[in-house]
Amino acid sequence: MFVAGSFEYNLHLELAISELEKKGIPRDNIAAVLMDSRVEERKILDTIHRADGISSFDAAALIGTFGLLLGAIYGFLLNWGLVVWGLIGLLGGAVLGLLGDIFITRIFNKKRPGKATGTVKGAAPQVVLIVECHDDRAAAIKDILWDNLALGVGTLPG
Amino acid sequence: METKQPESIRNKRRPIGVLSSITVNFFHLRNPWVSACWSAFFPGFGFIIMGSYVKGFLLVGWEFLINSQAHINLAIMYSFQGKFDLAREVLDVRWTLLYLAVWSFGIWGSYALTIDINKLAILGNREDSTMVPVSIGALDISFLDKRQPWVAGILSVFSPGLGHLYTHRIPTSFVLLVLTIGTVYFSHILQGIQYSAMGDFSLAKAVIDPQWLLFIPSIYGFAIYDCYVNTVEYNKLFEQEQARFLRDNYQNPRFRSRLIVTANQED
Repeated sequence: MFVAGSFEYNLHLELAISELEKKGIPRDNIAAVLMDSRVEERKILDTIHRADGISSFDAAALIGTFGLLLGAIYGFLLNWGLVVWGLIGLLGGAVLGLLGDIFITRIFNKKRPGKATGTVKGAAPQVVLIVECHDDRAAAIKDILWDNLALGVGTLPG
Repeated sequence: METKQPESIRNKRRPIGVLSSITVNFFHLRNPWVSACWSAFFPGFGFIIMGSYVKGFLLVGWEFLINSQAHINLAIMYSFQGKFDLAREVLDVRWTLLYLAVWSFGIWGSYALTIDINKLAILGNREDSTMVPVSIGALDISFLDKRQPWVAGILSVFSPGLGHLYTHRIPTSFVLLVLTIGTVYFSHILQGIQYSAMGDFSLAKAVIDPQWLLFIPSIYGFAIYDCYVNTVEYNKLFEQEQARFLRDNYQNPRFRSRLIVTANQED
């Protein structure tokens, strides 16, 4: 029968595979399907699970840094001093950069209709591992997959 | 007809990166204007973000020497405040002209280098180059792993350089920790923060040395930005490398035919 488990790319996936091989499953009986992710609506911050490749952080960091500089410079002349104004400049600049980036991207994306904008909640499975084995070993293999942080595990009798 | 070179040569000729025990240095796509901006904020930073450390450190050292001798930071501050006479007065003309050419070179050089590195990144990806994902040396260990970008960012907010320790980019971490200690100490910024927190803003203004203070915004912003971007790119690199390993080892065509037979029996 076949046991399938979905995983993210991480070291646990390789631990699972090596454990299967150590338990006597030949390499040829293990297959990995590498999933392409669906085009997602871009999000502000990247996470460990996904990165859209468009860094919204660029403008925020650059304008935020410039705001920090201006805040420190004019803080010498203003009432609350340069530390407070520096922080105000940093936050103000970062928010400005982020909003500007989102605004520009929104205009830019409008020019490309037909782009899928479905979002995937939580972690999207990125690799599906399929293991062929005798029926009596299926339970043990499922345990190995679950123990190594599989997102989901299923079987196909045969 | 396919005459691709053997993998060993491919990876050497168009490498995607190198993993050494103190850092992971690799090519990925960047916006050249972003590197140019960092070089404008602080000469050398535009090179450090690309892992061009020798050039980066050289320019950072140069910036410290010339800027603090010529009082460029003070002149910038007075100019922004509209006190142009003071700005003119404070500049040391024995040093000032040294600043211009190298500052401009930093901006142009990192812009041009980014464009070249983008080409190399595209070529490396098309050749499907990869790297050995672990390196253990006598003094340190580094490996590709999935890490949280926001953790790296927050660590750098607490102290510039910490985020780079988290992502294991030791040379950047080292230079940022040293720059932070130096600028924080000589600018008296911590005293300024202390007095500001207690509400004594005039004492805060009096105690701070603006020539040193003006180094800090660029260092702080850069530390947060760079380790965030690194973490994101390292995560992508990890996925790319692991995908290739799985493709090479766990996609046996015979498996597919057995699966089709089984699936058909189900129907």
